[in-house]
Amino acid sequence: MLESIISHGLALGAVYALIGITYNVMFAASRVFSFTAGMVGMLGGVLGALFINRMGMPVIVGFVLTLASGAVIGIVTEILTVRPVLKSLDQHLYVLSTLAFALMIQQLTAIEWSTEPQPFPRLLPIGRGIFDQQFWLPMLACALVIFGLEWLYRRTLIGRAFLAIAEDSYAARALGLPEQRLRMASYALAGVIATLAGFSSGEMMLAYFGNGPLLNFYGFVPVALGGMGSNRGAVVGGIALGLFQQSASVLVGGIFASVAVFVVFIIVLLARPEGLAGAATARRV
Amino acid sequence: MPILVLLVAGCALPLLGDSYMGVIGTRACIYWVLVAGLNLVVGFAGQIAIGWVALLTLGAYVTAVFTAGTVVPEQSPYVALVLAAVLCAVFGLIVGLPALRLRTFYFAMTTLGFATIVTQIALAWKSVTGGGIGVPGPVFPWPFDSPWGFYFFCLGLAIVFTWMTTNVAASRFGRSLVAIRDAEVAAESVGISKPALLVTIFLFSGALAGIAGGLFASLQSYITPDAFTFDLSVLFFIAILIGGRGSILGPLLGTIILTALPEFAAPLVAWSTFLYAALLLVIVLVVPGGIAELLDFKNRRPLEQHRQIRPRPDLVSSVIADARPSSVLVVDNVSLAFGGVRAIDGLSLEVRSGEVHGLIGPNGSGKTTTLNAISGYYAPQQGQILLDGKALPPRAPHGRAAYRIARTFQTPRLVGEESVLENVMLGGTTDGRSSFVEAMLALPRHHGDEKVLTEAAMTALAVVGLEQLAPVRADRLQHSELRFVEIARALMLRPSFLLLDEPAAGLSAEEIKRLGDLIVAISRRGTGVLLVEHHADLIFDICDRVTVLNLGKELASGTPAEIRAHQEVINAYLGA
Amino acid sequence: MPTSAREPLLEIKGLRAGYGKIGVLDNLDLTIGVGEIVALLGPNGAGKTTLLRAVSGLLPWSGQIRFAGRDLAGTSPRDTVRAGLVHVIEGHRVFTQLTVHDNLLLAGYGMARTELATRVEEALGFFPEIAEKRNDRAVTLSGGQQQMLAVAQGLVRRPRLLMLDEPSAGLSPVLVDRVLAAAGQLRDSGTAVLLVEQLIEKALALADRVYALARGSIVLEAPANEPDLPARLERAYFGQDVSHRAA
Repeated sequence: MLESIISHGLALGAVYALIGITYNVMFAASRVFSFTAGMVGMLGGVLGALFINRMGMPVIVGFVLTLASGAVIGIVTEILTVRPVLKSLDQHLYVLSTLAFALMIQQLTAIEWSTEPQPFPRLLPIGRGIFDQQFWLPMLACALVIFGLEWLYRRTLIGRAFLAIAEDSYAARALGLPEQRLRMASYALAGVIATLAGFSSGEMMLAYFGNGPLLNFYGFVPVALGGMGSNRGAVVGGIALGLFQQSASVLVGGIFASVAVFVVFIIVLLARPEGLAGAATARRV
Repeated sequence: MPILVLLVAGCALPLLGDSYMGVIGTRACIYWVLVAGLNLVVGFAGQIAIGWVALLTLGAYVTAVFTAGTVVPEQSPYVALVLAAVLCAVFGLIVGLPALRLRTFYFAMTTLGFATIVTQIALAWKSVTGGGIGVPGPVFPWPFDSPWGFYFFCLGLAIVFTWMTTNVAASRFGRSLVAIRDAEVAAESVGISKPALLVTIFLFSGALAGIAGGLFASLQSYITPDAFTFDLSVLFFIAILIGGRGSILGPLLGTIILTALPEFAAPLVAWSTFLYAALLLVIVLVVPGGIAELLDFKNRRPLEQHRQIRPRPDLVSSVIADARPSSVLVVDNVSLAFGGVRAIDGLSLEVRSGEVHGLIGPNGSGKTTTLNAISGYYAPQQGQILLDGKALPPRAPHGRAAYRIARTFQTPRLVGEESVLENVMLGGTTDGRSSFVEAMLALPRHHGDEKVLTEAAMTALAVVGLEQLAPVRADRLQHSELRFVEIARALMLRPSFLLLDEPAAGLSAEEIKRLGDLIVAISRRGTGVLLVEHHADLIFDICDRVTVLNLGKELASGTPAEIRAHQEVINAYLGA
Repeated sequence: MPTSAREPLLEIKGLRAGYGKIGVLDNLDLTIGVGEIVALLGPNGAGKTTLLRAVSGLLPWSGQIRFAGRDLAGTSPRDTVRAGLVHVIEGHRVFTQLTVHDNLLLAGYGMARTELATRVEEALGFFPEIAEKRNDRAVTLSGGQQQMLAVAQGLVRRPRLLMLDEPSAGLSPVLVDRVLAAAGQLRDSGTAVLLVEQLIEKALALADRVYALARGSIVLEAPANEPDLPARLERAYFGQDVSHRAA
């Protein structure tokens, strides 16, 4: 039972961490949180099942196509729901616009795909075991993303441009950096990360439209607790959350696990609204 | 107006004779009861409470359980309804409380979490809720046991609650809610306490949602957890936003439309939530003000171009009827640092009643920070602010109004969506005598309050010369007019001390002169004025004393003539 | 007043700009010739920073701005930078989480790799103090060094006109002289400089011409070496009529 808790918990935690990183990448580029992070994660699983199971494509092709779709949806999110409201005086419109778009994605999936969880293809032709690919694939994806982002930020100029915009978008703009293009690229990257999360965890979580709100919430908890913008915090928070949730679920029962997670979430947030590692918010007056 | 719509449409419905329409109508009324309360939270207070269906669920189950008599002694449906209202009021408070501490997106997430939790508990707590099988809903006795009878019951309740929320909206509580949504900092400066107000609203909305839940349970006859979907929460929320924030009629129409729409087109049913979401996106991008903005014909009328602002300093004595008592405001050796930067470093100054005290200095010298410290937004690390020898509590900006310390801001902070008159009336919030309940029930004391407040606000507007713009939406005004509206709002406090933060910025030379005359007239009533300014001519014209700040410290202090000739001051400005 | 036979490098006519409803600049005219240093002086709130932001495209504006013969209407900061007009904003805002070298690379974002490397070295050549810290993160630099880095960023594209917004703010006198000396070097190599400054004496010592900005428009224009300039400036800042309130 312990191995099951650990493998399942770590795998879930990796998925939550990846969605948390998705939130962070979007936030770094635009100073805005989007309700689409979890939805696009869900689409990673649904599209994977669609391309490979229903349309019969080879796994690699389905994989690439899914990630490409994630990038496209990320860009659409930026153009449709973020860019128009960034200019507006009302600071909180982005909550509504991204919520609306996220709901549209969710409903479209429910109607066109299915309201029931559908099976996800087996990705690697390896036999089943205790430490099965459905558990270590998400962890692998998480590790790949973390190292990939490190490489991007340290070794490429575009990655450093992302960091610059995240730190001081006004100075970046004045310096002549193509702010809009970089923001779109960030959102595309976020879409890829989210679909990767969904695709790698597809067998574990199944292709189900209901994963959207689930990932939205549980992917946000690491961000809220770990401090917004902190990827390290998101990973630690995600893993901790996954393990906690899985142990509570096995030991006490599914309902109490959810309640427990939620109560902890609320208490930590109320005690430290900026998260455990985050910075304080800007001055009000 | 909204009540009229409800009454007419509501009574007309049975005439159609179609009992199915009756069910739709009943459902619309029940949803509206919930939305009417939620409207105050989302539309007025601006809190993004998406998961409010949790309260509908709770209200439904509470009523069902108390009328079933299986777990607790059986109660009459009316008693059960009241119990639901009370329990859900408390729960509404619990769901809403995080709003006081959390940022918008975070709060929205927590409400979503609540909604999920409540549904899961309903599924799991089989002994009480019947789990997935569910429980029967309450049945109301004659005359409400027939479909049309029940319809009129719900309609009646809907009308009552519409009346109540309309009263709240038109009271100082409604205005205060919008103020904390759109101009929180300014709201605090006029004495509005955000926590107190939000607590009241969450209790009220929770109660209404609970009642709606009980009625819903009765309509459904049998409730199961999957009747309370996320879709329903979304519907309530979107109805308010489509209707427009700060309006009662808009969300009412929104609720009716969203409830009725899927019924008229069969294929639409499956797509209904998708369409609601798409509609929300369109509204946010194109008409953020919703239906209410589309129906706002009054504010489409063109305004007169080339308006002049002609203050009437002679009227100041009508606003500040009694001369202000002699008083002194002291900044005593105050130091305030942000991060590692000392914004103010051991500053002392005094403002006396009836005196205009100028505060000048280069950018970053600490002028606005000084005002903010006096107003209580920041606590000094060292030193204190004293009023007649008593220290003012730091970090308590909403208490300053009670001390009759009023202020304006560097950039005008007004509620753009409200009229100029309503903005000025905000200044008199602390003078209101009626309670929330009295306002809600439109009792005489509330009417008395409103009458006095409106008259005072019109007089204040006359003082600044803007009374002809009273009914106009504030965001249609020019920048210079907004500055004078802020002054009118500050005058409503009949202030002992008036803190002005760069009031002349963006004003024409003629307007600056009139501003000067107005400030002098105000100080003649005994108000002590602390004037932060860049415009040297205004400072030298009207100030009795001037303090010059540089790098957070006092560089010089004296009469304008002394300062004007002070070499160090000139050097600081010219940067030698 | 010296008149240039050629077309001025930067020509501003009737400029209006502000922040939302708040108008700051009103009917402002200003010209800068090739290879000259122009100082822009004025009290706080006059609009100096607003002017620079309008010219570089950070703020919307109306009126007319021509740079090197090209109309700047509707251009973004990215376009103006690529046209050779660089704005070093106030407050030595560099990217503290990135190295000095990365900060300079970003200033040349989009340039060809080898050319960028050369330009970065050129820029560092002006400021040897930070050249030796090229692989350190900018957060380890002092305020003065960060300001030097910010100016170096402005040099990477070898601009024809460099606009410096209060480069001396918060700097010790020694460092101020370093930064202003660099501006002088630029003029010698053909770059024009628009210098917004609070330190009048130092600005006048360096500049060829001076503009004074007060209450949203130009109130004074003169060559920097005119004898009674400080007195004229004082009058321009505080306005001619200074009446006293009757007690």
